[in-house]
Amino acid sequence: MGRQLLTDFELMILLAALRLEGDAYGVRIARQIEEVGGRRVLLGAVYAALDRLEANGLVSSTLGNPTSERGGRARRYFTVTPRGLRAVRDTRDAFVALWQGVPQLEERSS
Amino acid sequence: MTTRHPPRFALAVLDRLLPGSSPLAGDLTEEFERGRSRAWFWWQVLAALGVAAIRRRDEIRPLRLVDLQPVEAQERSRRMLLHFDAVPLTGTNLPGVGGLTVVALAVLVTLLAPVVWVAFVGSMLAGVALGLVFIARERRHS
Repeated sequence: MGRQLLTDFELMILLAALRLEGDAYGVRIARQIEEVGGRRVLLGAVYAALDRLEANGLVSSTLGNPTSERGGRARRYFTVTPRGLRAVRDTRDAFVALWQGVPQLEERSS
Repeated sequence: MTTRHPPRFALAVLDRLLPGSSPLAGDLTEEFERGRSRAWFWWQVLAALGVAAIRRRDEIRPLRLVDLQPVEAQERSRRMLLHFDAVPLTGTNLPGVGGLTVVALAVLVTLLAPVVWVAFVGSMLAGVALGLVFIARERRHS
């Protein structure tokens, strides 16, 4: 089976989910991307991407317990599957391979 | 301390137009409780609907495979292609009365007794209002 490469947004979502291990749900993932990744995101876009990743078997989700803080609605927790982890690694490898050998990107010696 | 309530209408819109969005609605409510504004809430709801609409447009729908013999399938597609309803442009559903007759009658009524139109439009509006009342009653009972 060929390598499955991710878009930059999907990669950010999977990395945020991995960082949050066990506590990865929509708004926390979005906050991680904003705070650590420095990119503003829409919650709707995060959920749309997560749905797509789940349909491709890269994440799986489970529903938590409904809480009053959320108006009686449950959190949807996401876990990165082994296939998702492989996709993250493959994407990183592809980026690193493309990065190498580009003179403009080489570190300047001070 | 006063309790803040997220915009109910926004939640209803989300629930109605984006099935399965309960976790998203919960996340938005959670953020609102933490101090986000109503404008932020509405913006997120509208953006979610926009994203979903774009996604639906780009969605690749799988083919529905049916168990048909080739001859049957050919016949069915032929029928599907040829089946269309004729739309009479100059006729009406009333036997013997054509579309032009209706137009002529309408012109005659306008010239001779325009007040009839008031009654006509009034009865149409009354019919619409009555329909809305029935729908509302039906929804309340179900």
